[in-house]
Amino acid sequence: MFDLLMNAAINGLLLGGVLALLAFGMNLIFGVIKIIHMAYGQCVMLGMYFVYTLVTFLGLPILLACLLTLPLMGVIGMGLQMFVINPLLRAKANPLTQLLALAGLTIVIENLAQVIWGADLRGINIQLPLISFGNVFLRTSNLIAFFGALLTLWGLYMFLNRTYVGLAIRSIAQDVDSSRLMGINPQAIYYVTMAAGGVLTGVIAAFFSPIYAVHPHFGGSFTMMAFIIVVLGGMGNMLGGFIGAFVIGLVTSLSAALTSTEIADILALVIFIAVILIRPQGLLGIRVSK
Amino acid sequence: MRAAPVLIVIFAAVLIFPYFFPSPYLIHIGTLIFILSFITTAWSYMGRFGLVSLGHGAFLGIGAYTSGLLFNYYGLSPWIGMLLGGGVAVLFAMIIGYACFRFGVIGDYFALVTLALGEVVALTIIAFRDITGGSLGFTLKSMGTSLLYLQSEQKIHFYYISLGFLILSLLVWKWIDRSKMQKALRAIGEDEIAASTLGVGIIRFKVIITSISAFTTAIGAVLYAQYITYLNPHTLAGVPPSLEIAFKAILGGMFSLWGPTIGTALIVSLEEYFRVAYGSTFVGFSQIIYGLALVLLIIFLPKGIYGSLYEFFKKK
Repeated sequence: MFDLLMNAAINGLLLGGVLALLAFGMNLIFGVIKIIHMAYGQCVMLGMYFVYTLVTFLGLPILLACLLTLPLMGVIGMGLQMFVINPLLRAKANPLTQLLALAGLTIVIENLAQVIWGADLRGINIQLPLISFGNVFLRTSNLIAFFGALLTLWGLYMFLNRTYVGLAIRSIAQDVDSSRLMGINPQAIYYVTMAAGGVLTGVIAAFFSPIYAVHPHFGGSFTMMAFIIVVLGGMGNMLGGFIGAFVIGLVTSLSAALTSTEIADILALVIFIAVILIRPQGLLGIRVSK
Repeated sequence: MRAAPVLIVIFAAVLIFPYFFPSPYLIHIGTLIFILSFITTAWSYMGRFGLVSLGHGAFLGIGAYTSGLLFNYYGLSPWIGMLLGGGVAVLFAMIIGYACFRFGVIGDYFALVTLALGEVVALTIIAFRDITGGSLGFTLKSMGTSLLYLQSEQKIHFYYISLGFLILSLLVWKWIDRSKMQKALRAIGEDEIAASTLGVGIIRFKVIITSISAFTTAIGAVLYAQYITYLNPHTLAGVPPSLEIAFKAILGGMFSLWGPTIGTALIVSLEEYFRVAYGSTFVGFSQIIYGLALVLLIIFLPKGIYGSLYEFFKKK
């Protein structure tokens, strides 16, 4: 029993690393563009299909396929900004309308994937060895994903704090009007943000590809997971999202080991609902009065 | 009332349609449109007042599973099961509604909470797989043709029953329109704080309209389950069916009486056209067009197809 829980806890923490990336992307887009990206998980799914196609049909090595997926997803992010988000911003749509439009987009992406790749499971077949410490077993692919995710987060931190564009993104997130006075073009920053968010979905897709097989409805649960974490940590709060990812990873993994995966998911959703009702600013957020 | 003669002609045409075109396929499509329009109209009861729920799948699942399980295990007639399922849905709606409205959860946050609730109900159904059959769903026991148990081997029965229910739901819409509640809810939808300072009981009216919507949705789900005679958590609860209900209403126009019905008829026809024309090679193709149309409509025609047309002709 103890070994089982130990395994579950460690795998939950490893999963938390990738979930942190997912939450970071959604937080970044929410913080800068003030839009809830309902199709974020679906973009990850698209990225996984790209990796699968590049590996299976073009016979590229997995590493190269993953690297090629990053700019592809960045372009898709910019496309979304151009064809969906910009028109929404121009129409001065309220948050609910934005949410619905992006939810409509999930239908387009999921069915596009179904038409192109079919409804069955697609995965790249690679066998990575298991690593064992006593009675605790670790999948190498999970370990790679965990450390890769931490590395990516560190890179993003440096990008947001040490580069001109990164600082511009942060200033837009704080105050659009003042940033404009400082000579920052919000439109350009929105494109950069969506591109960065897109590349991030590519990174997540690359880490997920050796772990999961992808199918057209793969993205939905991860969009939900990203929401849960982002809301738990406080919308737009990066540190909160980081901590929330590990909390949710641990909670779902442990409760799945003790009961069933459905109960674990229900628990995560109940946490989400409770946080919105009782502490809408999130665990680390500060209530902003209007 | 210039609209009355047009309505009577349309109603008569729908009524005698099966005698001139006795094709089971067309009658099946008609029945589907009626049942789904009934559910979409129920969703719009609250949607039109700014309470956009993305979790009506929760009420579908609760209604259909309450009635279906009681029938299969205890032989309870779905007519009673329908009321019981509706009752459980109302209870659920009242608890959730009260919690949401008490803490002032509105707009996009309300949509997110309901989205999560729909998923919770779907997962609960799957988790209790010993009773509910889990992801595989279950089939209702066959009673042959027995209207007492709301089962029939003849599609024409369901055609008229569901048409009756649809008309009933439209009458409820009219009733809401004339009631005091409509004025209160419209005031709340426009400005909550202003309405509350005028002494409008915000929480009470919101909970009432949510309960009416939940009850009607649950009844629609029982009707659907009895027609298909098969229950599955992925078609009766969770995120995709919840989104579908909301989108059909938005596409047609949730602010007008006929909007939800027109939206549903359009979507069902479009889906059928693509299914028949392209077969299984293009599964999902109709959905892509539907999704694209939806995104464009939400951005450019927020009042929906019927609502926008209506306004266009009113201006002329």
